[in-house]
Order: sequence, then structure tokens, then C-alpha cells
Amino acid sequence: MWEQVKQALVASTTRFLTRFANFLPGLVALILALLVSAVLAWILAAIVRRVLASFHFDERLGGWGFSSLAEWSPMKSPTRLISRSVGALVMVSGFLIGIAAFDFDWTYLFVQKMFAYIPDVLAALIVLFVGNVLARFLGRSVLIGAVNLNLQYARFLSVVVKWIVIVLAFAMALEHLRIAPGIVELAFGILFGGIVLTLALAVGLNSRDLIAKSVGRDVEKASSEAVEDPLRHL
Amino acid sequence: MEELTRGTNLEIERPLQSMGSAPEETSSADLVVGVLGESDPNTVAKMCDELRTVPGPLRIAVLHDDRQEGPAPVISETTEGRAFVFLVSSLLPKSDVSATGLPSMSETYQSVFAAAEKLQARGCCIMASKLESTTPPWAWRIAQPLFDSQADLVLPHYARRKFEGLLNASILAPMMRALYGKRVNNPMGPDIGVSQRLFQKMLAAKTTGNQLNSLASLTPTALCQNLQIIEVNFGARIYPPTDWSNLSSVLAEVLSPVFLDMERYAPFWQRTRVSLPLPVVGEPFPLDQDSPAMDTRDMVESFQLGNRELQEIWGLVLPPASLFELRKLSRLPVEHFRLPDELWVRIVYDFALAHRLRTISRDHLLRSMTPLYLGWVASYVHDLTLAGAMSPAHRLESLSLAYEAGKSYLVSRWRWPDRFNP
Repeated sequence: MWEQVKQALVASTTRFLTRFANFLPGLVALILALLVSAVLAWILAAIVRRVLASFHFDERLGGWGFSSLAEWSPMKSPTRLISRSVGALVMVSGFLIGIAAFDFDWTYLFVQKMFAYIPDVLAALIVLFVGNVLARFLGRSVLIGAVNLNLQYARFLSVVVKWIVIVLAFAMALEHLRIAPGIVELAFGILFGGIVLTLALAVGLNSRDLIAKSVGRDVEKASSEAVEDPLRHL
Repeated sequence: MEELTRGTNLEIERPLQSMGSAPEETSSADLVVGVLGESDPNTVAKMCDELRTVPGPLRIAVLHDDRQEGPAPVISETTEGRAFVFLVSSLLPKSDVSATGLPSMSETYQSVFAAAEKLQARGCCIMASKLESTTPPWAWRIAQPLFDSQADLVLPHYARRKFEGLLNASILAPMMRALYGKRVNNPMGPDIGVSQRLFQKMLAAKTTGNQLNSLASLTPTALCQNLQIIEVNFGARIYPPTDWSNLSSVLAEVLSPVFLDMERYAPFWQRTRVSLPLPVVGEPFPLDQDSPAMDTRDMVESFQLGNRELQEIWGLVLPPASLFELRKLSRLPVEHFRLPDELWVRIVYDFALAHRLRTISRDHLLRSMTPLYLGWVASYVHDLTLAGAMSPAHRLESLSLAYEAGKSYLVSRWRWPDRFNP
């Protein structure tokens, strides 16, 4: 009886040690991959930062109409944002390579699925980024245009336009990530419809007086200008 | 020089067609007159007749848009010892002189320069005002200094009513004076005379990819290259009526090339210290300065709305001291509203700097200036309509002096945009 217990214990220890011995090279490979990728990430990030800084990327980006990106960047520098993103990408790649070193079926499948998912994640990130920039740009355009038209609800219009674009971009990003696509579609439809309906109701009912006042003033202004307006700007 | 005319205007590629004259007589000209304003053929013919009374053996080519409706202008016979005038049928690009259209006007000016180059003219003049509104010999009045005084640029000095040309009065003329050191009254014409030397420079700049605006950049270019500029006193011109819904576009289109020139010629204007008057030809035309009472309520309300809603944009452009002063102004009742010249000048300079630094989209930046500009206009109207108010000339002179006094502020901010932030 005691002999059988002893054999079972030895067999269990041997199995554990064998499995641990099989696992250990993978773990060392993972640590090594992480270390190498960290060094590579640091070098690549430094190169990208220097290259971008050499042609004044931050200033040029402002000129291309993406000045709002600076507000979202670490230390208000899009160069740093991009260089750190490159570094993070290399680190993630190193981690996936390290995981793949484990000679298990599930790690292989996991890595395979992760690599297959990367294009979707990138596409979703791009959609989110472009949507955000577009939302801020359009929101600002609407705000300035509405203020110049002397509309008292300029801020409201600007916020509505901005959030419509952000919600649209967010829904598109989730669609790319294949996260509960049915629910996202439904939720987006309800949310978007709700925003439009709210806007229609606000304009139709709650803001009736405001709009009537605004339109009335425009009509009054137009009629007074038709009589005489001695101001000439150009 | 063939290179210069190539590509500037498709129509210049085609041979210029003269009307009613032998080809050898019209292959070259001393002066090219471009008529841009919409005018009926009889008015153009009348202008040609007046040009034919010019003494001397001058050959004058009048560029006429043959797409305009109506019969071709009829020109009378040439007189011995007088100028020979001939019409050149040209399809000048349509310019919307009456509204914003500064980019299209620039193209049209460029086309006239190219035509003048093709005809080897010694100078050209462009009539952009409605001819019906002009004093008859305007074309020759503006061209004469090109030949008699060897001027390179002839600019108009219109007799102006107090509420006319406000964008020019509030920003363009005083800022040009403070920057480049010459008291130019109408730096953007639009009726101008240009010497061969200057239009060749403008054409050459275009071919080298330099983004000069053929209208807005003429005066700064001439000033920075020490070319001779002469002003000619003119009567009143008819200004296009204000399109209030389009005012921000006008502001953006007009100020953008001016601020670009500031950037281009920064090394020059940072050295200039004082301003000098320009030589003027002719006597000023007196004008009745009476005008109906003005209601500035809408303009002040627009300023107040801008101050309330555009803080996030103005905050990127203006220093805290200016923002604080604007907030104080926005609380004033309409009748007491005054935007001090010093503050207005600093605002304009700060916007020019933000345009250079591309702090935000340039279009957004310039459009967001509209409520501030309306605030200045309201303030100006208040100043001139008060009982015992100063004359428009004195009022604008004090504004010009404020621009000159504020130049050190501009230079400091221009050189050290991050460090100098009062």
C-alpha cells in the first residue's frame, strides 16, 4: 500500500518536473523575446522620434489641419505619440512571439488568432482616430459658422455635430472589432435615431421661441438692410 | 520671357485677336488696359475714345472680354499725333469683383500681366471698378505716372465716405503702413497701374512656384523691393453692398494673402521703423460725409456672442490680458461699447502670428476673427456718430499711429512666440 502511494507520488513529481522542464525553455524564450523586443522598441522609437523631429513633424501636422492631435498626445507632441505607438507595437509583437515559443496547442491557436485580429484592431484605431479628428474639425467649423451667422444656439449645434460623428466612428470601430455586431448595430441605430429625434424635437418644440426670435431678427435685419446700409467692407 | 506667359492663363496661349486693325499694328503695345468690371460696350468704347486723346505716339491695347453681352464696342478713327488705341479680344477669367472672389481676381490680374508681357508693353493698368462710376479719364490718370514719373506701381486714393472700405481702413492700410513704412491708402487697389518691371517680377514669381497673390502681393512686393509707388487721387467708386452672411469668407480671403506676405517679407518689415507718405498725383476729391444714423446693436451682439462661444479658439491665439479685456468689453451696454485701438491692433497682430504658427486651421482662425472685426466696426461707428466726433481722417490716423506704436509688440511676439506672452 505504502509502496503504491510512493510510486504515485514519484510518478506525479516526475510528470510535474517533466512538464516544468518542457515549460521552462518557453518561459525563458518569452522573457528573452520581451527583452529583445524592449531593446528593439526603444531603438525604433528613438529613430522614429528623431526622423519626425528632423522635419518638424509637430509643426507640419498643425499645418495639415491635425493640430487637435497635439491635445491628445503625451506632452502635447504628436511625435512622441507616434514613436511610443511604434515602441508599443514592437513590444506586443515580441510578446506574441514569446508566447508562441511555448509548445502548446492553445498558445499556437492564441497567437494565430491574435495575429489575425491585428488588422481589425488597427482598422478600428484608425477609424477612431480619423473620426475624432473629423468630429473636432467639424464641430469647430459649425461653431464658428453659427457664431458668424449670429445664431444663439451655436454651441448646441456644434456639440450635436461633434457627438454624431464620434458616435458614428465608435460604432464603426466596434463593427471592425467584431464585438457583438448585432447589438452594436441596434444600439447605434437607436442612439443615432434618438439624437436626430431629440434635435428635431428641440428645434420643433423647445427651441421654438429661440428660433422664432432668431429668424425674426434675421427678417427684421434683412428688411432694414434693404432700406439702407451705408457700411461697405471691401 | 515666353516662359513667363506660359501656363498662367490658357487664353494667353491663343494668339490675341485684335478687332478692326491690321495684325502688324497690334502685335505690340506700350500700354495694356484690362477692363475687369462689368460694363456695357458703349462705356468701353467711350473709355477708348478718351484714351485716344492722350498725346504722343502711344500704342494702347484694351483687353476686352468678348463674352459680355451686346455688340462689340465701336471705336472712332485714329487722330494724328494722338495715341493709337486698339481692342484686344480676350477671354479673361471671370472675376467676381463685387463679392469675395479674391483668388479669382488674382488669376485675372495675372492674365492681364501675361497679356502685357506678350504684347511687350511698358506698363499695364487694370480697371476693376465699374466704369460707369468712374471719373472719365481714370484709365489714363492711373497709367500716366508709369510713363511720366517712371513709377512701378500706381495705386488709387479714392475719395471715401466714412463707412466705406472698412476692411481696408481697419486692417489693410494701417497695417501695411506700420509694417512696410509707407502710407499706402489702398494697398489692394483694385484699380492699379503696374510697370513692366513689376509685372515681370510677378510673372516670374508665379513660374518659380512662389505663391504670390497677383493683387494682394503687388504692394508688399513693390515696397520690399524699393520700387517706386505713386498714389493718384480719384473720385468715389461704387463699393459692392455688404453681404453679411458672407462676411467671414471675405475676411478670410482678404487677410490670408496679407498674412502670408507678412511671413514672406518678415526680414524686411522687422527693420522698418517709421512710416513716410507716398507721392500723390492730383487734387483730392471732396465728398459729402453725411450718412444716416447707424444701428450697431447687431454688431455688438455678434461680438458678445463670439466672446461667449469662441473662447476656446481665441484662447489659443490671444494672450490672457487681451482675453480679459475682451470679456470686460462684452459686458458693456451697446451705446457704451468701445474697442480701444491698442487692443484691436494687438488682436490683429496676434492673429497674424497665429496664422504664421498655424496654431489652428488657418480658415478657422480667420473666420473666427469676424466677431472681433464687427466689434471694431461698431466701435468706429460710435466714434464717428457721436456729437462733436472727430473726422474719419483723424480717427483713422489715430488708428494708424496705434498700429505703428504696436509694432514693437508684433516684432517681439514674432521673434519669440513662446517666450514673449504678456
